[in-house]
Amino acid sequence: MSPTPVTDPKIIEFIDEMVGFAKTAEETLSQIEKDPETEKSRFSVFSDRMFTIRGTALQLNLPHIAHIAGISEEIAIKAKDASTRAQIRKCLGSLWDALSTIKYLLENHLSETSEEQQFLITRLEDTLRRLGGARPTISETDIEDLLKQRS
Amino acid sequence: MFREDLNILVVDDVNAIRVQIRELLYTFGFKKVTIARNGAEAQVLLITETFQLILSDWHMDPVDGLSLLKFVRGNPDLKHIAFIMVTAENTKESVIEAIKCGVDDFLMKPLTSFQIQNKVFGVLLRKKVLE
Repeated sequence: MSPTPVTDPKIIEFIDEMVGFAKTAEETLSQIEKDPETEKSRFSVFSDRMFTIRGTALQLNLPHIAHIAGISEEIAIKAKDASTRAQIRKCLGSLWDALSTIKYLLENHLSETSEEQQFLITRLEDTLRRLGGARPTISETDIEDLLKQRS
Repeated sequence: MFREDLNILVVDDVNAIRVQIRELLYTFGFKKVTIARNGAEAQVLLITETFQLILSDWHMDPVDGLSLLKFVRGNPDLKHIAFIMVTAENTKESVIEAIKCGVDDFLMKPLTSFQIQNKVFGVLLRKKVLE
C-alpha cells in the first residue's frame, strides 16, 4: 500500500470522510468564538480532528493538506493554554484561515498548492513560532533505537 | 500458529485507514481480521474474542490507543497480545509514553505495504506467535 492515488473513486469516499472531520473542527471553532476564554479547552477537539486529517491525508498522498493540518494541530495545542485574550483571538484567526484552506483543498484535491496557500503556510508557521514552536518530534530511526534499548 | 489461524484486531476511527489495513492483511495471507472503530469497541471485542495481534490508531474517541494499550497490558488474560500502534503521532513525549506502557512497535503514517509487512511479521515472529 503505497500512499494511494487520489483519482481512485474509492478515495473520493475517503476524502468525504475527511470533509466530515473538517466540519467537526469548524463547529468547534464556532463554539470557541462565542466565548473564547471559557471555551478554549475545546481547542483540544480541534487539534484531534487536525491530527486525524493529517494522518489520513498522509495516507492518501495529499502532503499539502497534511502539512497545513499538522501546523494547525500544533497551533490548537498552544491555543488551549494561551493566557491572553489577544493570543486566543490570534490563534482563532489563524485556525479559521487554515480550516478554510483545508476545506478548499479537500474539494479540489487534484489542484496544485497555489501561491496564496504557500503564503498562508508561511503565516501559520510564523504564528506557531511566536507561540513557542511545535512540540519536539522523534524520527523512525530514533523510535527503533528506543525499542531496541528496551528489549 | 500459522498466519491463517491468527485473529487480528484493527482499531481505527477512520474508515479509509482500517479498510486499507484489513485488505492488506488479507493479501499477506491472514484470514481473520476484525475491525473496531475506537478503543471502546475494541475493549468489548477483546473480552469476547481471542486475538493475537492488535493494530491500533492512537487518537480516537471514546478510548484512545494509549488507553487501549494500558487496558491490554493491565489485564492478565490479554497482556501477552502483540500491540502495534498505527499513527502519525511522532512527538517524543507520546512515543516514549507508549514504549513505557509496553507497545511492541509503531507503524508510522503514511503506511506502505512493505512497512506493514515488515512490522507485522517482525512483531509476530519476535513474540513467537508465528511459526
